[in-house]
Amino acid sequence: MAKIFYDHLVLREEIEVELEGYNLTPDEREEIVRLADETLHNEVLHTVLTHLPKDKHEQFLSLFHKSPGDNALLEFLKTEIVGIEDEIIKAADKVKAELMSEIVKSRKSS
Amino acid sequence: MKPAAQQYIDADLLRKRLILRNAAAEKKLLDTHKSAKQFFERLQLRPGKIRQHAKNLLTSGALAGTILLSNPLITIPIQPHPLVNSSNPQLPEQLSGEELTQIINSNLRDILPLTGDWKLTDDQEKEAIKRIKGIYGVPITGTVDGNKLLNNYGRMGAEQHLPRYPGDNVYAHERLVDKGITPGLGGWGYWEYDPSKLTKEEVEEEKWYVAVPIIYLPDWHEKVKYYVDWYKYRRVFVVNPANGKAVVADVADAGPSNWTGKHFGGSPEVMEYLGINYGMQNHPVVMFFLDDPNKEIPLGPLEYNWEKNKEETQDKI
Repeated sequence: MAKIFYDHLVLREEIEVELEGYNLTPDEREEIVRLADETLHNEVLHTVLTHLPKDKHEQFLSLFHKSPGDNALLEFLKTEIVGIEDEIIKAADKVKAELMSEIVKSRKSS
Repeated sequence: MKPAAQQYIDADLLRKRLILRNAAAEKKLLDTHKSAKQFFERLQLRPGKIRQHAKNLLTSGALAGTILLSNPLITIPIQPHPLVNSSNPQLPEQLSGEELTQIINSNLRDILPLTGDWKLTDDQEKEAIKRIKGIYGVPITGTVDGNKLLNNYGRMGAEQHLPRYPGDNVYAHERLVDKGITPGLGGWGYWEYDPSKLTKEEVEEEKWYVAVPIIYLPDWHEKVKYYVDWYKYRRVFVVNPANGKAVVADVADAGPSNWTGKHFGGSPEVMEYLGINYGMQNHPVVMFFLDDPNKEIPLGPLEYNWEKNKEETQDKI
């Protein structure tokens, strides 16, 4: 799996572990994990850009495009935003809780 | 110990709910952060797909590395076009569409401006020309007779078919009739006044045409006749940086207007081949003049690599 620089903060594997207890086909599981992953990306990026000064957006996005998995991106953000790791974790936890709630709502009796 | 019983879930319902949730997250990101909206539009990438993009970067890097590692002393039988010095002799003879897309992604996109102005700097222009020549083997240039395109990188929008002769109608154009035909004439008027005189080349010129906004050239009003004559059916090379598809086209219309937010127009066939005839039909392309005064390279899609496939391609003309 290709790495994104904030993967270790987002821990999307928790969604995958939760889904293991359900009767999903491999294709269904893959698609649901992919949708969850994309949602997390959108929310994390929104959080980063909300806290990052606007004049740094272009620089960050250019670096992000060139090398999405580079740890230097997080180091860059840490110099610009105090507590950015906590902000990313907070945003990811909120989204994961919402996604878990969607999973529960989609349960059905056997 | 007995394994825990599996719980049942309505996968289709969950999928639909997650699609909606993801769409809401994307909308919030792009509505709130215009820089991100512009950035991802130019990449023709949905922001949530960044992991796929990361995977593509890894694969294209590995592909280039594999080619070099497996054949360090390879002598690729690439015969550069006489007018071209191929700057990338390491590329193999044949590439799949996916491989070409990945190579274009890694070779072209990193020099194109991702936000802000669409204009290329001199260095970006030089590097883009060098890389496109190296990949496609076509003689392209930024300047001919002292003339430059207003933009070499910008948004291309959809144009309609052009009337080739008085009474021409959309059904005579055979394909893509749903795209319509302009009610008025193209920038250079009819190709012929007698339809029986329409040549095969003229049919191709209408099919593979682009519009460029020459009316915004700084000295347009002083040199109208010169520019019309100079740009009339001028050959250009157009690449979609998102997928590597490329066409040889000709300038057959002047436009689009600035207020459209587009920098070029593409005929129905050009838009279709480049894979940009969807959505708002307003997608980034790269365009340079083709330095091919003898018109050796036919109009239409350019299969990678022109020079390597020259004989086969000419057989198809």
